[in-house]
Amino acid sequence: MLLLALRNSLRRPLRNGLTIGGLAIAVAVLVCLSSFGNGYRRALNAEIDRMGVQLLLVPLGCPYDAAARVLKGKALDVSLPESALVQARQDPAVAVAAPLFLAAFARTESGRADMWAGLDETALELKPWWQTKAGTNWFTGTDSAILGVDAAEVEMRSPGDSLYSPETGFHFRVAGVLQRSGTSDDSLFFVPLKTAQQMFKMPGRLTAVAVRLRDPSLLRAAVERLQRIPGAQVVTMTEMMGTFLNLVGAVRTLLLSIALVAIAISVLSVFNTLLAAVLERTSELSTMRAIGASRFQILGLITTEAFVLTLIGSVCGILLAIVAGRVIESFVRGLVPLAPSESLLAPSAGILLVAAGIGTLTGVLGGLYPAWRASRLHPATVLKPE
Amino acid sequence: MRVRLLIAGGALAVALAFVGWRIGSRYSSDTFSETKAITPEAMPLCPWRQPEVDLKVFFPDATGYRAETRILSGLRLELAERLGRTPTGDENALRLYRVYREDAPIGTVLTRRAKGTYGAIELVLATDTNRTVRAMRLQRLREPESIAGVLQDARWQNSFIGKTWQDVCQVGRDITSVPPEAMNSAQAVSDGIRSLLILLSTSEQTPSPRLADAHHH
Repeated sequence: MLLLALRNSLRRPLRNGLTIGGLAIAVAVLVCLSSFGNGYRRALNAEIDRMGVQLLLVPLGCPYDAAARVLKGKALDVSLPESALVQARQDPAVAVAAPLFLAAFARTESGRADMWAGLDETALELKPWWQTKAGTNWFTGTDSAILGVDAAEVEMRSPGDSLYSPETGFHFRVAGVLQRSGTSDDSLFFVPLKTAQQMFKMPGRLTAVAVRLRDPSLLRAAVERLQRIPGAQVVTMTEMMGTFLNLVGAVRTLLLSIALVAIAISVLSVFNTLLAAVLERTSELSTMRAIGASRFQILGLITTEAFVLTLIGSVCGILLAIVAGRVIESFVRGLVPLAPSESLLAPSAGILLVAAGIGTLTGVLGGLYPAWRASRLHPATVLKPE
Repeated sequence: MRVRLLIAGGALAVALAFVGWRIGSRYSSDTFSETKAITPEAMPLCPWRQPEVDLKVFFPDATGYRAETRILSGLRLELAERLGRTPTGDENALRLYRVYREDAPIGTVLTRRAKGTYGAIELVLATDTNRTVRAMRLQRLREPESIAGVLQDARWQNSFIGKTWQDVCQVGRDITSVPPEAMNSAQAVSDGIRSLLILLSTSEQTPSPRLADAHHH
């Protein structure tokens, strides 16, 4: 019966191909969205864990926007007073408070921006990946710079080379080049904090303070105290992650509903295709009934045809998701907040099986009515004159 | 028969999916869509940033250009001999932009990064069909004004016009002299231009695989 169903499926290649294509797209969307949710959560967790930071002090304004920009190595329009750092370091729950000054110069001619980051030595305690591939791993003077691996490659710099900031007129000597970390650090120019503040004429100002606590269980009390620092607000990593996941979750729910609508349309398409096939093959099916096929066998034949169509569609959808997933990821990466550097798509076997199951099952449901209708054909129909 | 066709079609789809996945993996961070589906390389570190603007200056009567990538890894011996040094890894391939007036080639544009004193210098070189320098421009540099001004001076840049790969490009002797503080960067630009001319002439005098074509009009 399977062979017969397969052969019947090939009788109208264009019509069946379109039906399969529609279902494949719906299944592909379903797989991509499900994988994206898993992947985003996993990658975000990994990135935040790696930072070893429990909270950030950022300037007043939208705290999540500020925190996301700082974590992704982007500059802020507002700044914190350096007194916030002093107060944070005095808090009994704070193990490390590392100041950060970030500023950018757009280089329109090359379609990118020079990102300058000012650090002091406490940054080393929060950056376990801070290892140099060449040169020293810390500044040798106020005019020394350490470059992320991509920044060094773009500017063809090695330890000992000079580096110039045309916008500010500051000259630097490259002290080291960092190993690739997979974070935004790879494209930054790191300079001593004071130098960065001078470069951008913002002495005593910071972009953020990253804080690691002595004990994560002290978080609530620490947040309450740090919130009182004038001009600063606290964003915890847990809040950041929760907010981002909620944002992404809301979008994902909307998109999932679109995917389900697409699958519903695919079911109607299967329904239409098989109903048309049954009507076209009335004579053939009646003949089968006349030579002894039972109603159950006819029902089984058409249902098997629906199964074959939707199974092929589901498998094609999964393949499409695997191929198109990268393209969708690159598109989505630009839209989501704090897109982690790891892959956002994590298609598990479970997701693939569920998507294939939904695609196949709903398709078979769409084939039930045509199958029932075919099984109701009377053998005498074939004897009727045209 | 149709069942076999179906099975063969399925196998082909799986193979295509695998190939697509591999290509997607390789170019996940590539934003230069022009060649990503065809070439095995990443986006060039030195793209041609302002083709329309440069074409108007270098080739005012051009109607379009075509990007090509030439693989030179099989010509390393010839390259080493002409360059007078071992070719770098970047020199295993040459990205060139063939410029056309209607369907007739009228020249070539090449790009390259040179190591300036204070940062990378990106140069754009235009050559005639006989591979002599027609014009050049620096599309990105981060040298201090005292050096940048010298390197962007039209008189200095024009001293490259008419040079071929066989010409020595020693600044101060074959190329207009520059102040001492600009010498390193100027020589780096000059060496970059000569290297480009050698890569171009070697790739065209010896048949080499051409990887990717993309038309722009």
